[in-house]
Amino acid sequence: MYHALLTRRYLTSKVMPLLASLAVVLCTAMVLITWSVMGGFLNNLTQAGRTLIGDVRIALPNVGFAHYDDLIAKLEADPEVEAAAPIIEAMGMLTLLENRTEPILIRGIEGESFARVTGYADTLWWKPLDEPVKKDRQGDDLRLEETDRTLLQRIYEDGLTLTEIDPITGQPEPAIVLGMEVGGWNKRTDWGGYYPRVQYVAASDGGSELRNIFMPGSGELVVLVVPLDSQGRPLDPVTRKFPVANEFESGLYDIDKQTVLMELRALQRMLRMHAAKRLVEPGGSGVGGSSPDPLAGFFEEDTEGVSEPEVVEDPARVTSVLVRMADPDGDLEAFREKCHAIYAEFTRDHAGEVPDAMMIGIETWEDANRMMISAVKKETGLVLMIFSFISFTAVFLVFAIFWAMISEKTKDIGILRALGASRLGVAWVWLRYGLAIGVVGSICGGLLAWAIVTNINEIHQGIAHTGEWLGSTLTDKPWNWYIWDPKVYVFKEIPHKIEPWKAVFVLTGGLLSCVVGALWPAVRAARMHPVKALRFE
Amino acid sequence: MSTPHETTRPPEPTTTGVTKHGSENCATGGTPLLRVQGLHKTYRLGRVDVPVLHGVDLDLGSGEWVAILGASGSGKSTLLHLIGGLDRPDKPANGNPRASIRFRGNDVVGFSHAALNRYRCLDVGFVFQFYHLLPELSVSDNVLLGTMIRHGRFGYMAKRTDLRARAQKLLEAFGLGHRLRHRPSQLSGGERQRVAIARALMNDPDLLLADEPTGNLDRKTGNSILDVLAEIRAERGQTMLMVTHDPEIAARADRIVHLVDGRVVDGGG
Ligand SMILES: Nc1ncnc2c1ncn2[C@@H]1O[C@H](COP(=O)(O)OP(=O)(O)OP(=O)(O)O)[C@@H](O)[C@H]1O
Ligand SMILES: [Mg+2]
Repeated sequence: MYHALLTRRYLTSKVMPLLASLAVVLCTAMVLITWSVMGGFLNNLTQAGRTLIGDVRIALPNVGFAHYDDLIAKLEADPEVEAAAPIIEAMGMLTLLENRTEPILIRGIEGESFARVTGYADTLWWKPLDEPVKKDRQGDDLRLEETDRTLLQRIYEDGLTLTEIDPITGQPEPAIVLGMEVGGWNKRTDWGGYYPRVQYVAASDGGSELRNIFMPGSGELVVLVVPLDSQGRPLDPVTRKFPVANEFESGLYDIDKQTVLMELRALQRMLRMHAAKRLVEPGGSGVGGSSPDPLAGFFEEDTEGVSEPEVVEDPARVTSVLVRMADPDGDLEAFREKCHAIYAEFTRDHAGEVPDAMMIGIETWEDANRMMISAVKKETGLVLMIFSFISFTAVFLVFAIFWAMISEKTKDIGILRALGASRLGVAWVWLRYGLAIGVVGSICGGLLAWAIVTNINEIHQGIAHTGEWLGSTLTDKPWNWYIWDPKVYVFKEIPHKIEPWKAVFVLTGGLLSCVVGALWPAVRAARMHPVKALRFE
Repeated sequence: MSTPHETTRPPEPTTTGVTKHGSENCATGGTPLLRVQGLHKTYRLGRVDVPVLHGVDLDLGSGEWVAILGASGSGKSTLLHLIGGLDRPDKPANGNPRASIRFRGNDVVGFSHAALNRYRCLDVGFVFQFYHLLPELSVSDNVLLGTMIRHGRFGYMAKRTDLRARAQKLLEAFGLGHRLRHRPSQLSGGERQRVAIARALMNDPDLLLADEPTGNLDRKTGNSILDVLAEIRAERGQTMLMVTHDPEIAARADRIVHLVDGRVVDGGG
């Protein structure tokens, strides 16, 4: 009983313990905010990674593997598999408007199957919108324009199929979809959207004219790839001009900057990975015609020059098959094993024709993004460690304050002992006191963190506006106080969720550090000799 | 966490009516409430020994009021602390016999920690020269502190109303009934000492140990405090050992002993 009474009285009549409580509040809030924001960031990042490759990727780079349709059929027959999609990943060059050439990652996809496996449809940027996006308070988004709806709808559908109608022939032709940041033709706004840039370009009369560069409108770009033969030897580079169907935004800057999506069969042809009858001539190899294909007309030139019929049948190849789990929260590793088993079965049906199950790379999206994920994880861990270290000062603060208080309260301890209190009882007064400070501090810290994290975007906005206003009034130039600038940062919004388990963990930590800080002083109080305590001056 | 001290006590020795000269009872052979024998205490300061008590023998009859007179530094407080179970006497050495402090026949020196805590809580009431009230607690909480320790959390909660009423009654008897909510710092020295006495009496101990209870007060206030103590003793028949260096104050006791050169010398009362 006297413990509770003393704890209460000591807590309310002294400034020092309130300071200790405040330190605990700040430390717990700091750690929790950091963890939530950084953890949320990591989560966004990895989810973006998952959006791009599905759950599991079966891959043999460069050379690729054949009979993938059969593999996909086998995979999709399994109830655990939601969908599977063939893709080709290859390096290439993209010639930009000003005749700059940049290395890019080219991904050959089938729009429909790729969309079933990944979040492709959602990443396509140009599409009609009904509602402004969250941060677009003025509704500035071009995609909201009523007048552009039909155009945007068409561009969106082109993006989904990776084709565009040739204005001359009226036939669909294969197209490419650019990452939003490729070429820098789009300007990111401060609400995280994009406007096509306006640029001066050389005009036919020798001067220059202002042009709105909207790639999906009329842009055409030249892509260069180096095909390999089925043994992996490089052949002559192949270039082709493609219309731009749409642009995508994955949320990961590196990917949006360096990736171009291309209609799968077009890329297969460029890389000589399409189904073909190969005519083996004495001095080398040529490429033959193929199966019925709606786009076959565009590749007619490839079939020219074929003469003597010594025919080898080469099936079409892809470098990867992406697989998506039916249960989005299922065990990823088990699912990988499952894919491996299905692949092994597939190799039995195609013995000698497809790479062995040991050679093929089968990895989860986490493995595939390991570098990126582990980098951010390490960073989060590092920041968390530093902050936890700083928070450790809370332990010492509590310790120091308690040590001082116990010196000050020595006489009280002597009196309590003289009145019959046990050593344990005296220790408990102080431990309880530490516990009380910890509880109060942790809970207030948790609440503070919650208030800050849930409103972090608003707070950030407020700070930025204050900066602009202060800058304008003081120096006639607004100051940029954006820390998380959507123009620069990968994600438009600062992550603003606290996961309950993290809160519990951090609050318990705050509480424990108080108890730990109070422990030694409490033991000291318990060991104090009653007479010495009473005689203490 | 609190370890309540049991509320049951060994049966009280039947106290025959306490009179002003109860000492004779003791001298004539009835078992004394307290019997101290061969008490030695030496303080060690680094390599220097400071011998304070060399073989104190003292008997206290039940209901007796004994004053210990001694010069400053003669070891009066030390003796009181030993009797009150706050400190332990020297271990037997250099031919000294084992010290014993018998309270109702039980040897306090041999008590375990738990038994000592119990003894301090139930059997002994301390009154100090400098009052030793807890400054953060109100007057009534200070008085109740000993009962909180005694009954533990749940016991205290169950008996709270009764205990509060008792504390109130005690404080009223001392003329402090209207100051229950005050802090010690808002009271005068004499008032504080009354609060301290009320605290010492809350658990109704058989032995009151008062270490210069008036040492910090002027004569008039000191005398009124002694009146209070005498009154209580008359009412409850408590045994009291009072330390002082003022012969005039000592004169109010039943019996006076002198502490000289670490030994108790009977001085007649
Ligand atoms: N912890 C200690 N270490 C060393 N010496 C001590 C210690 N405590 C007390 N003493 C010494 O023991 C002697 C007796 O002290 P004590 O306080 O018992 O005297 P006292 O008779 O109560 O004196 P006063 O009348 O001034 O209160 C003193 O000389 C003192 O210096
Ligand atoms: Mg003294």
